[in-house]
This record gives sequence, structure tokens and C-alpha cells, in this order.
Amino acid sequence: MRQLRSTLASWEGFLLAVLVLIYLVNALNSAVFLTVGNQINMFQLSVEKIIVALVMTFVIINGEIDLSVASVMGLAACAFGWLVQAGVPGAAAVAIALAIGFLCGAFNAFFIVWFGIPSLVVTLATMIAFRGFARILVEDRGISDFPAWFDRLGQGGFIGPVPFAMVLFAVLAVLAYLLLQRTAFGRKVYFIGANRAVAEYSGLDVKMVKAKIFIASGVVSALAGLLFAARVGAVRGDIASGFELDVITMVLLGGVSIFGGAGTMSGTILAILIVLSMRNGMALQNITGHIQTGVLGVLLILSVMVPIIRETGSRMLARTR
Amino acid sequence: MKHITVSTLALCAALYGVAANAQAVTADKGGAADMVLLPKFLGILPFDQANRGAEEAHAELGNTGTLLYTGPTPENSVAGQIEILTTAGSQGQDVVMLSNNAGDQIGPAAEAAQTAGTKVVTWDSPIPSGQGETVFVAQVDFGSIGVVMADMAHSVMGGEGEFAVLSATPDAANQNAWIAAMEEALKDPKYANMKLVDTVYGDDQSEVSYNRALALVDSHPNLKLIMSPTTVGIQASAKAMQDEGLCDKVKVSGLGLPAEMVSYTMNGCAPEFALWSFVDLGYLTYYTSYMLATGKIKGEIGETFTAGRMGDYTIEEDPGRAGAKRILMGPFTVYNKDNVEAEAK
Repeated sequence: MRQLRSTLASWEGFLLAVLVLIYLVNALNSAVFLTVGNQINMFQLSVEKIIVALVMTFVIINGEIDLSVASVMGLAACAFGWLVQAGVPGAAAVAIALAIGFLCGAFNAFFIVWFGIPSLVVTLATMIAFRGFARILVEDRGISDFPAWFDRLGQGGFIGPVPFAMVLFAVLAVLAYLLLQRTAFGRKVYFIGANRAVAEYSGLDVKMVKAKIFIASGVVSALAGLLFAARVGAVRGDIASGFELDVITMVLLGGVSIFGGAGTMSGTILAILIVLSMRNGMALQNITGHIQTGVLGVLLILSVMVPIIRETGSRMLARTR
Repeated sequence: MKHITVSTLALCAALYGVAANAQAVTADKGGAADMVLLPKFLGILPFDQANRGAEEAHAELGNTGTLLYTGPTPENSVAGQIEILTTAGSQGQDVVMLSNNAGDQIGPAAEAAQTAGTKVVTWDSPIPSGQGETVFVAQVDFGSIGVVMADMAHSVMGGEGEFAVLSATPDAANQNAWIAAMEEALKDPKYANMKLVDTVYGDDQSEVSYNRALALVDSHPNLKLIMSPTTVGIQASAKAMQDEGLCDKVKVSGLGLPAEMVSYTMNGCAPEFALWSFVDLGYLTYYTSYMLATGKIKGEIGETFTAGRMGDYTIEEDPGRAGAKRILMGPFTVYNKDNVEAEAK
């Protein structure tokens, strides 16, 4: 009983309660909401963003930020389109696009880790630069006509009606959970995020951990960009632009501290489910994009406010005792 | 079944008080079709006008279903359109009327919607590949827009000098087709002394277009005209030239809304521009979609139907897109000092 109460009092418990509430309200408001087809659509429409949110959780807990994820997605997708159009076989183009993601991540890591430039600055610059490269590659046209097997990865069912990207998300979510919460690497990520100086004094390989995270962020973003290209069957220079904010919103809503050191993978996953089901529910109620964006903004403010209010509250309680 | 159709036709003819056309199919009033009008994004006048036309047709036809006007935000246009189209399929809407801003990226979603039983009728801007599209309601023949733009440029510039194009988004299928048509028209020896020096994109956002227009003037000192085939771009360009006092040197022309352009036409910044009626486009799109949803037409080439007050239209092959079908609305009007004030009211 006590354990149940402490679970509910935790941020994850709160998110879970919110999620259940949203599912209830949506199911009561729309007969369509709980259908398998709609649930799949709901995930598929944002599957690329939620895959990136998994790796963004590592980045932010580590006390950093990566604003370039959406531009890496765009660059990888455009590079893929450009290569396919130039006659490169699809599988090779996928490999090269992933390698580009690796290089983008390594480029970010180089300046952040070895030059000590704040990640906010470095990734803001590369957000613009990588997007620029994407636009140069495909110029002002759209590229489509990808290999059929590639389009099928994004569009049809892979296991039954469940598309490939969703299966991949499920696998990555489990791996990300295990890596962050159950391994020595995961504990280092928290420790460095909580106090970098102490971590360095205690002999932790801070630079290596950070470099790995940024490179992973690049590769996973490139993968997400490819999945997006497969889902929509075409690329152009502005593909996936602006996605970084949605990704970061989900992670912060999940209770990950923007200052690093705190948060959990299950929090992020719950926040993903909340954002997706809320958006889908509003869309089914025919609520326009402007209001949806507004509601998500309010949600994000609340997610930052509630922990602060709770902490102040418990401190006041402690004082009165 | 045939009897029913014949008697309905007769009834319609009696209601309208006209003789039934042998070929043109007329709509049955009072059907039930849930329809979604999906613009590129919310918040600009032409789309609201199209919605007015759709609402007019909705009331006229006594549709007992719903007409929903919804769209994404400008920053989220591509993903937003895909999301709304997908959701419409889940909701079991009968038709989505789409002004496509996502290029071919919306093709798979349109196809999925069709599979779910939702027809996709495009208007204003089609799906370039035609994937998942039932039919495209074209405002005017894309080729003739090119000639009209070339002619306006000729008339404003006195037949010689440099001009540039300020378009919408780089992948807007309609603008790209019009610019290509204009470049084709410019090959005529009549336009030999006119030179198209640049094509830039203002993303159909006022501020971006405004800045791009000023950048054009800076990078091309001999520029005499900015041709903008988008209502957002032409207004922003005209305002930019007016604000900077450049109207004597650089004129603006293109496709604009009389209500937004009247002051610039009267003060000489944009002496000539052209457009068709977006209200009519919404009205015709609604009629087409309603008749598709109620099964009066199938969306096949050669079918002719009566679209209320606008008369008869026929589904034909789209000359610009292999394998795709269109309904051509046409024609459009060139506005100048003499007629713009009357239209702007």
C-alpha cells in the first residue's frame, strides 16, 4: 500500500494517472479512438519523433541539449534521396545516410566535448548548417520514387498491421530503458549530468560518455529521418523541420530535468504516450492545429511548474513541523 | 435503379424549372456526406474565401452531413496535413478536399485514406504524382497562367528589362507549374527583351516574402518587376516596395486578391495583377466532392455534371500530370486601376 502511494506520488505515477484519464476521455468522446487502426495511426504519425526522444533523454539527463536532431533527420533523408536518384543502390544509400548521422554526431561532440563549447551553441549552429546542407542536396525540388522495399518499411504492416518503425521503436525503447536504468553506463550518464566537476574529479571518462551520447543522437536521428522518408515516400529540403521542439517537449514533460541529472526513461515513454494520445484525441474532435499547439504549451509549462510547487510545498511542510 | 435515377433527374429538372441536360448529371439535394475542407494552412484569406464557397454549396445542397474546415499551422503544414488526412480516414469522413502543400509526401497518406473509404479531391494545388487523388479541381489552365503572367510582365515593363519571380514554397506544385509555364511562354520572340534573372521563395509567409523582395532589389540593381504568383508574396512585395519608396523603379505583378491589392494598384506599385475567384473554386470543389460522395459521379474521365450556379463541368485528363484527372474551372480576370475597386468591395 505504501509502495503504491509512493508510486502515485512520483512524477511517473502522476503521468500514468494523466495518461489513463486522457485515454478515458478520448474513448468516451470518440468511438474511433480505441480501434487498432487509429492506435497504429496515432503512433505512426509521430514515430520518428518518439524514436529520437529516447536518445534525447540521455542527452538531457547528461546535462546537455541537442537542437540539431531534426536537421540531421532532414540531412540523412535528403542524402538518401539524392543518392537513390544518382543511381546508388537503396541499401548502400541507407548505410551512407546512417554514416552521415554518425559524422554529424561526431562533429557536434568534437566541439562540445573537446573545445568545451556549450551544446546549446554548437547544436544551434549545426541545426542551421545541417539543414542548409539538406537544402543544397535536393535544392528546391522533391525527390520520390524510392525502391519499393524502402517505401514498404514506412507504409505497410510489418508484424500484422504494425509497421516496421513501431516495432523498431518498441525494441529501442526497451534497450534504452535497460541501458539507462540498469547499466554502469547509465549511472555515469546521471552522475555526470548531476555534477560534472565531481564526476571529473572522481576519474570518470566524462568526455567519452558525452561523445558517445552525441554520436548516438546523430545516428538515431539519421535513422529516424530515413523512417520518415520511407513513410511519406518523398523528401525535400524542409523535411522534418521543427521536429526538435516536439522531441524536447516530450522529454521534459517526462520529468527529465533540463539541468541534467534527473529523469527516467519510463517518464519519457509515458510522456510520449500522453502527447500522442492527446493530439490524436484533439484531432478526432476536429480541434485545429493552433489550439493543439497551445494545449501542448500549457502542458509543458505545468510539467515544469508542478515539481517546483511540490518541492516548495514539502519544504514549507517540513518547516512547520 | 435506372428508374430511380431517371425519376430523380426529372424531379431535379422540375425543381430547377429547366430541361434536363442529356449528358450532365445533377446533384440530389439532401444527401448525407461528411466532408473536410483542408487548406494548406489556416489564417490566410483565399482559403477562407474557398470555405465560404463550400459553405454556400453545403447550404444549397442541403447536405445533412457535416462540413468541417480545418487545417494545420503554417510551421507544421506538411506533417499537419498528413495528420489531418490520416485522422479523417479513421473518422470515416466521406471526402477530404485538399489544397496540397506537402508535395508527394502526402501521397501514401492519401492512398491510405482512399483505402479507408475517404475520397481525396484536391483543389488549388494537386498531389504532383496523383497518388491517392480522386480528381483535381484546377482553378485555371496552368499553361494559360504562364501566358497571362508573361503578358502582364510585358505590359508593366514596357516589353524590356530584368524581372524576378517571388514564389511560395519551393515544392508548391501549382506555383512551380505556373512558373514553368511562364518560362515556356517567354520563349516567344515578343518577349525577347525581357530577362528573368532570379526565382526566390517567400514560403507564403508575409515577413519572409517581404524580406526576400527587398533582397531581390539589392541583388539585382536593374530589376524592373517582381512577379509573384502567390497572394501572400504579391502583397508582401508590393508593401515592401511601397515602404521603401521603390515603386517608381520596381513594380509588382502576379496573382493577388483584389481586396488586398486595391491600394497598391491605385498608387501604382502593382499596376496589374490577375486572379480567379476562390469562392467559386470552393463552391465547385464542394459540388464535385458531394457528387462523388453521393455516388452521382464516379470520378472517371468524360463524366459531365452540373455544379449549381456555375454550370456544367467535365472530368478530363490532366495535361500537366500523366495519369491524373482534373476538372478545369477557369477563366480568370486581370485587374488594373479600372476594375479593381469594384471587385475589392
